[in-house]
Amino acid sequence: MRGTELIVVMCTVILIVAVTTAVIMGITAYTPGPEVRPLAKFYLENCLNLWNRAYWAASPEAVCSMLWDYRGIDTLYETTVFFLAIIGGVTVFRLIEVTPPLESLSEKIRRVLGLSVIVRTISKIVASIILIVAVAIAAHGHLTPGGGFQAGAAISVAPLMIIIALSRYFLEERKLTKERMLALRTVGLLTIWCTVIIPLIFALVGQVVYAMQNQAKPWTTFPGFPTGQLSTWIAGSLFIYNMAEFVAVGAGFTLLFLLLSLPEEVFREFMRRLTRK
Amino acid sequence: MSYVIVLEVLLAIAFTVAVICTYMVVKERDLVKAVVLSALQSIMYTLAYYLLMAPDIVLAYVAVGVGIYSVVLLFAISKTERFEEVEAR
Amino acid sequence: MSMLEFTLLMYCYAALIAVLAISLYGLVRRPNILKKIICLSIFGDTANTLIIFLGFRTRNPIPPIVPTLTPTKSLMMEFTRRAVDPVPQCLVLTAIVINMAVLMFLIFLAIQIYRHYGTLDVRKVARLRG
Repeated sequence: MRGTELIVVMCTVILIVAVTTAVIMGITAYTPGPEVRPLAKFYLENCLNLWNRAYWAASPEAVCSMLWDYRGIDTLYETTVFFLAIIGGVTVFRLIEVTPPLESLSEKIRRVLGLSVIVRTISKIVASIILIVAVAIAAHGHLTPGGGFQAGAAISVAPLMIIIALSRYFLEERKLTKERMLALRTVGLLTIWCTVIIPLIFALVGQVVYAMQNQAKPWTTFPGFPTGQLSTWIAGSLFIYNMAEFVAVGAGFTLLFLLLSLPEEVFREFMRRLTRK
Repeated sequence: MSYVIVLEVLLAIAFTVAVICTYMVVKERDLVKAVVLSALQSIMYTLAYYLLMAPDIVLAYVAVGVGIYSVVLLFAISKTERFEEVEAR
Repeated sequence: MSMLEFTLLMYCYAALIAVLAISLYGLVRRPNILKKIICLSIFGDTANTLIIFLGFRTRNPIPPIVPTLTPTKSLMMEFTRRAVDPVPQCLVLTAIVINMAVLMFLIFLAIQIYRHYGTLDVRKVARLRG
């Protein structure tokens, strides 16, 4: 076959170019070395600096404190991009306004909805375990590895599994519809924005604050979010952001899965009815 | 000499498997097999993130790269067509 | 850094850039839209891996997380001396989830293209009209 040979030759050439580029980059540019950059040193020193609290984020996790405190505005706008991507997905599927009732589907589709009893039971058990794990990841995000994004990605596996094993009508019966997911995701995003705006309200009163400020600083008059006691450490606003982002990401992905799992026959029927009108 | 050398050897192995998987993904005409291979490649990257001391990324990527992404692509394939067409111009 | 370590790190670099090149080739050359999307996802993940790889540290690395809420001063100093760079990890973490949402949008568009044109082959889609 000529095409396959061409691919092999192309890949060999690409591989040779890649190796030479890598060696040249390794000699001239930055490679992983024994030391990190000064910027990283600053974050590592200050994320839980109990002795000089001017720059601290009150969180032992450097990644989470950077995500929602030091580089908070960046994450805020990343969340906005996520919002827009999901809005785009919903817009593409805008024609389908309601889920068709189960009775209106043809016999063929109804038969393939859902799998055997063993798979259904196991999926229910595993889905509930996934829910618990995801909530734990989100709630401990400021103390251990994890956070809003990770927990949101983890929890969206549960509806995905339920849609495959038990069909989307299982979710619809439990009121997890498209509209509710949209509302839930908007609530998560609104919580993030409201928490961002709290320091700005202090600024309107005449206090000296930074945008998205978490902890108090000696040269600002903003009192900072409460860090909590040692047994219930919530690390200021990080806990609120993590939980809100968890709700937003989980609901957003679930919304996309609900749209994706509509049977193709339903869509064709809808288009036929639309063109007849 | 410390455990770093072990990490780097494992990293090199993971990236080698990733290269092979990517090549097979590009070559494969059956899209379902391509999705499975890309999931294998995602597992290799997850291992690499673990070895590169990034537990946060592992938690996010193992759900997204291996779980959600493969299933969504399989959904899309079941809605459209499975085989890539070989058509001469 | 010993010669063996340097060689291994260079090999990892080369492998990552090879993945970038191969997936870019697939992205440009393969006609099927879903295949293009798979290659695009591999391309993005490899770019993310490259960024994290640059934040690695070759002297006794540990994850950038303090194991306790009440650290002593010596523990914090050791943490700063050993932990890997958290900046690339922070950047990549958001990128992975956003990337996923954008790719799902692209998959939706591909399904919509199939509904309207009945094919996913870009050569045929380019020939059809309306």
